[in-house]
Amino acid sequence: MTFDPTTAAARGFTRCHSCGRVETAAARHCPVCESPLHLRKPASLERTVAFTLGAGLLYFPANLLPVLRIESSIKGEQVNTILSGVIQFWQDGDYPVALIIFTASVVIPLIKVLAIVALCFAVRSGRSPAAMTRLYRMTEYIGRWSMVDVFVVAILVGVVQLGSVLRIEPGGGAFAFAGVVVLTMLAAHSFDPRLIWDAAAANGRTHRVDSNAETLGARSADTSASHA
Amino acid sequence: MDNCNPIPYLACPDCDALFTLPEIPEGDRAICPRCRAHLYTNRAGFVSHSSALVLAAAFFFLLANVFPLLTMRADYRESDMRLIGSVTGLEQQGFPVLAGMVATFVIGAPTIVIGALLYVLIPLMRGRRLPWARHLCRVMYEARRWTMVEVFLLGILVSLLKLGKLATLTLGISFWAFIGFILCLASAVTIIDPAQLWRKIEEAQP
Repeated sequence: MTFDPTTAAARGFTRCHSCGRVETAAARHCPVCESPLHLRKPASLERTVAFTLGAGLLYFPANLLPVLRIESSIKGEQVNTILSGVIQFWQDGDYPVALIIFTASVVIPLIKVLAIVALCFAVRSGRSPAAMTRLYRMTEYIGRWSMVDVFVVAILVGVVQLGSVLRIEPGGGAFAFAGVVVLTMLAAHSFDPRLIWDAAAANGRTHRVDSNAETLGARSADTSASHA
Repeated sequence: MDNCNPIPYLACPDCDALFTLPEIPEGDRAICPRCRAHLYTNRAGFVSHSSALVLAAAFFFLLANVFPLLTMRADYRESDMRLIGSVTGLEQQGFPVLAGMVATFVIGAPTIVIGALLYVLIPLMRGRRLPWARHLCRVMYEARRWTMVEVFLLGILVSLLKLGKLATLTLGISFWAFIGFILCLASAVTIIDPAQLWRKIEEAQP
């Protein structure tokens, strides 16, 4: 494998995944935190693809199965899937909540899966590594927010006791949905954005630091690191 | 650099560019000029500041677990739910694995983060390092990824509206403690720069 000459890997160094210590590539374990050292996350692409496929499969039961069943003496029985829950908030006039839930439960998982697929392709092509790295950072950050619907189910089930005028039961959809969120988080975590830069270097699309350090490092409080 | 780190380099976590450790003024951030990843922030005195915040977070978290989170009023009945109720409810309804996941994200992972941070930071104030501090620091960063307390907070707010028409939900003391906990923990974690924390741990006397 060829690396961009400005990278740690090309100079024979490896960065510890957990504490950031830079060590010679010959070392097996990090001297600071004792994690195993790898030049790149091991089997990164394979793991990312496997977790994403799993998430994609679970996405169907997560959306088709009910997440919540509410039985009340006032309104009768109501069975909610993720989407029908959103629709109900919308019909009740709670537009902001409907939008929040729709974003967290429908838009974010879809964006996330699409982003991970795009990242996997970028590892092949090495196209626009800077933009792809930004996409990766966003993917890592937004994933957790999809869990909000699962927490709503947990809270409602917990607060409504048995023998009340209300009965609330969780549905299999909630379980599947939690699985989707966890799998996409694992997929994002297994992904190694450095592979995109490696591919960019291999395909001659290197973005050298020297050429654009001026413009990129021009933010007010930031200090750009000097290049080794 | 200190004698603990014979390799005077820093590598970007996102694009692997190699740098010499830059000297930056206090309060400034070093960012990767190639991919704009955050490399580190120079924050003097972060150990005592973050220790105080983590202690406050631990106190708030204790309150959040002890007091009622939500009170439901329906048909002249009143019942309280505590934080753990969101776990036990699922478990009683036949979803033990889902209950375990919620317990991990809302109670387990935050407990590990707070416990590990206190274990590492408080001795660090006197330049000391307890046994297993480095392992716990690793575990702490792993647990932080699975901490979803702020998402849970949004879940509480949505729940209020969801049941709004069928029953009356009121917020308990635990809710406000939970907000305090989230704010304290988030600010503690923000002022702790991972690179700086690891360097301090390495320099500390075992």
